[in-house]
Amino acid sequence: MSELTTWNPYAPLSAQTTRTLGIAAVAAVLLLWAVISATGLVSPNKLPAPWQVAKAFGYLAWDGENGRSLLLNATLWSVGRVLAAGALVVAIGIPIGVLMGASPRLNAALSPLIDPFRSAPVVALLPIMVMWFGIGEWMKVLFLFVGAVVYLIPMVRDAVRAVPQAYWISARDLGATPLEAVRHAVLPLAMPRIADAVIVAVSVMWTYITVAEYVNAREGLGQLIQNARRFSAMDQVFAGIIVIIAFALLSYQLMRYVKSRMYPWETKL
Amino acid sequence: MSDSANPVSIELKDIVQEYPHKDGTGVLRVVDGISLSLQPGINMLLGPSGCGKSTILHMMGGVRPIGVQTPTSGTVLIDGKACVEAHDDAVMVFQRYANRPDLSVEENVAFPFRLKHWRARVSAAEARQRIEETLAAVGLSAHRKHLPSQLSGGQNQRVALARALVLRPRILLMDEPFGALDAQTRAEMQQLLVQIYEHNPCLVVFVTHDVTEALTLGDRVIVLSTQPAKIADDFAILEPRPRSVTWQRSTEAVRMEERILAQLHAASTGRASLRVSV
Ligand SMILES: Nc1ncnc2c1ncn2[C@@H]1O[C@H](COP(=O)(O)OP(=O)(O)O)[C@@H](O)[C@H]1O
Ligand SMILES: [Mg+2]
Repeated sequence: MSELTTWNPYAPLSAQTTRTLGIAAVAAVLLLWAVISATGLVSPNKLPAPWQVAKAFGYLAWDGENGRSLLLNATLWSVGRVLAAGALVVAIGIPIGVLMGASPRLNAALSPLIDPFRSAPVVALLPIMVMWFGIGEWMKVLFLFVGAVVYLIPMVRDAVRAVPQAYWISARDLGATPLEAVRHAVLPLAMPRIADAVIVAVSVMWTYITVAEYVNAREGLGQLIQNARRFSAMDQVFAGIIVIIAFALLSYQLMRYVKSRMYPWETKL
Repeated sequence: MSDSANPVSIELKDIVQEYPHKDGTGVLRVVDGISLSLQPGINMLLGPSGCGKSTILHMMGGVRPIGVQTPTSGTVLIDGKACVEAHDDAVMVFQRYANRPDLSVEENVAFPFRLKHWRARVSAAEARQRIEETLAAVGLSAHRKHLPSQLSGGQNQRVALARALVLRPRILLMDEPFGALDAQTRAEMQQLLVQIYEHNPCLVVFVTHDVTEALTLGDRVIVLSTQPAKIADDFAILEPRPRSVTWQRSTEAVRMEERILAQLHAASTGRASLRVSV
């Protein structure tokens, strides 16, 4: 009863409580996982124990026998692909999105070509991309690019369109040419949301990286997982997945931080 | 700069404005044949909301809505010349002050000088000097490095006003500029506007829905009827500014107030009956 009467969705939660609850939840899942493994309820072939995963992680991080770090090597390759595709997404996607946001005509023409792909299974495009671009490095980067750019472009467009018209009118009234009004009045205000679009695009690429690396990859985290699965090394599969999640989270937090430093004036809703 | 030998003028001749109807059927006549001649002074434009005040003000500034021919018929003349695009002499100030949140107060005031149009007309040194003067005139010199988010609503409106004044416009078009401010701040801003006006008389067109504001500021009060707008009333206020509380309570002022309210009231009841008939 008291629980229900004090429940308030708008009540602020202290950072301390937020952290405690988050850590507790993760710890609880880990504990459950450990208990399940310890009791032998599920076979380790299906669910390796946390300590087995930790051990696999150690092996992947540093393989003393061969004097190499499989994980470092794989990570560098995957990060490199995400960076390469990310550079393409930013260099091509942002200008297209801005143009679509600034020109209703262009938007009307391009959005039926781009928007549907947001809900289309981009993964299904992989065979086509393999056919077109082969199984080399290009194909992987282009796959990541296509997967992410279809999210980024509509977000950038919406960021531009969300800028209140008053800014446009005011700049035009002051004598700005249409191009100047976009450059000096509309774009600067759209920047925080464009940055959000980039953050989403990078997150999307981290979810697609394994798919991109399924086909004929000799290096990369996706390949590492794929390879481990082939040898039924479930502990290594789990370790690989955890590393990908960690990198996705890390890059997400890093980009959020950079964004908050770049656009400290962004109004918080 | 206003030149007393050559006073600026705005003339509206038989202005009609129609907008395409929201539901796509036919047109909505917003302004219905307005003719008006404006001279330097503070001209207050009153009217029920939606009657077309902003539409008329935008026309005078030469800012045209996208995809709609404006005006549908009639002409807008500034100094006897047809005004069809953004005009150097006319600058608008909006209720939503449109300050760039990422620029400091000073940079916002200097904003027009980022544009080729003004860079070609005003030297960097001259711009520098104007920015200093204008910041001082609106009382923001001490806040020059602040971001808009660090300022109050009134201060933000001062920034917007300064950005207009830095161009030394002969025509200042203000669209309910103080409408969102609290009473105290609004009074301060009105005082500031009068100060600036006295210092450099120009042609001000000031849209408001606040009768007291009209009586506090106006040399002339123009009241529009409801949509489609016609001129319902148009009279001068000769009382010098600043207008004392005694004057505000005088029979003259109270009569003017009643006169405006009667018009606005007639407009709003007319509108209500119109709705019923629709
Ligand atoms: N660009 C436009 N397209 C269509 N209708 C418009 C446009 N601008 C204004 N209107 C309509 O014209 C009417 C008058 O608008 P406005 O001039 O803003 O009135 P006011 O400033 O007096 O409140 C309103 O009904 C509004 O919906
Ligand atoms: Mg208006």
